Amino acid sequence: MGPLEPLWAALATAGFAVLFDLRGVDLVLAAAGGALGWASSAPLVAANVPRATALFAASAIIGVWAEALAAIRKRPATVYIVCAIIPLVPGGGMYRTMLEYIDGDSWGAFWTGLATLQDAGAIAAGLAVSGAASRLLSRRAPRGRPRGQPKGRSKGLTSPGRSPRSPRSRPG
Amino acid sequence: MMAARTAPAAAPPGMVDPEEALLLAADAARLVLENGGETYRAEETAAAIATALGGAEAECFATTTAVILSFTGIDGRARSIVRRIKRRGMNLERLARLNSLSRDLATGAADFATAAASLDAIERLPTRRAPASLLGAAAGTGFFALLFGGELRDAAVAAVVGAAVSRIGPCLARRQLPDFVVNLVGGAAATLLCLAARSMGLASPTDAAIVGVIMILVPGVAVTNAIRDIVAGDLVAGVARAADAVMAAAAISLGTGGAWALWRLVAPGAP
Repeated sequence: MGPLEPLWAALATAGFAVLFDLRGVDLVLAAAGGALGWASSAPLVAANVPRATALFAASAIIGVWAEALAAIRKRPATVYIVCAIIPLVPGGGMYRTMLEYIDGDSWGAFWTGLATLQDAGAIAAGLAVSGAASRLLSRRAPRGRPRGQPKGRSKGLTSPGRSPRSPRSRPG
Repeated sequence: MMAARTAPAAAPPGMVDPEEALLLAADAARLVLENGGETYRAEETAAAIATALGGAEAECFATTTAVILSFTGIDGRARSIVRRIKRRGMNLERLARLNSLSRDLATGAADFATAAASLDAIERLPTRRAPASLLGAAAGTGFFALLFGGELRDAAVAAVVGAAVSRIGPCLARRQLPDFVVNLVGGAAATLLCLAARSMGLASPTDAAIVGVIMILVPGVAVTNAIRDIVAGDLVAGVARAADAVMAAAAISLGTGGAWALWRLVAPGAP
């Protein structure tokens, strides 16, 4: 890995973050996530670790970074994840698959395509692991607001002090 | 009791008209999907908003192309609504605001009127102006060319071509052309422009510039998100997203392949 590569990854991530309409501090944090992901996957790939394993590790790291930021900045983790995985996402693999197919090398395209799918799967798995870990932790967080899933469904039926429903309360 | 009757705006959340609540929840879920949110996020947002607005029970089923929400109000009557998802983009600022909207409703920090107003504001939130998105596309493609082992001149070519290609999408979409055509034209334009630059000696004879530019077209994030949906248990939505990504890849490869063929025809001896 060249010493400047994480910087290129960060700047490329920032460019995509602009296209995805991320703004301000979040843009910088997402770009840092992109550099983090590249800096953790590129040395592993260079050390002959299988590509899917390296991507799994890197995206798990990105996931932890994004979940931590989400908890601090009160934004969905996806905001950081979608940008930060872009340097890892197998765009080059998809391009090579397409090119081999066009050149008539169907078997080459098949294997490259399979490897590309494996890469995407490894990234999704890494993110799933860190997402699950953060959910387990947030359940244990003291008096945390339940995320999304509402609790106490019959609350609306039994809560006291409600004025009786009248026809006038429904406009139109 | 008196206060609740004389000041309906400050009524407890349960006082919201069930039909209004249903519409608000469904539109929030639609916006989540239109702006690149995960399927489970759309479902959770709709259910959380509906419950916060006094629904006794709310069930939401979302896929990549539609949201179905059923809502049982305090009167015990079930209502449901379908919202089609016609366009799918990526707008993270809107996603973040939708997230805080549903959280504010759930915690009681916002009432129905505030939520409805801010949902309107989110839907009308302007996207970035052209110069900023041109710069974003140039940075994204240029630095990717460097990351893929390109030289500085490759990065320069990729940045210029990438900025140009990024305008093709909005221009064609304004004429109601389907994504397939947009991707086809984008892939062809990216390849032709990069090959032309290469033959003029502006870029090195590698694929770095082309791969850099193709990155803004190729549905790498879409494929990953499709698998994430499937991992999360949203099988229908995940498979639909994967199909979307495969169609995009097919369109790009048609464009790229056509451009290569044309190039070999026009300039047989070029590198």
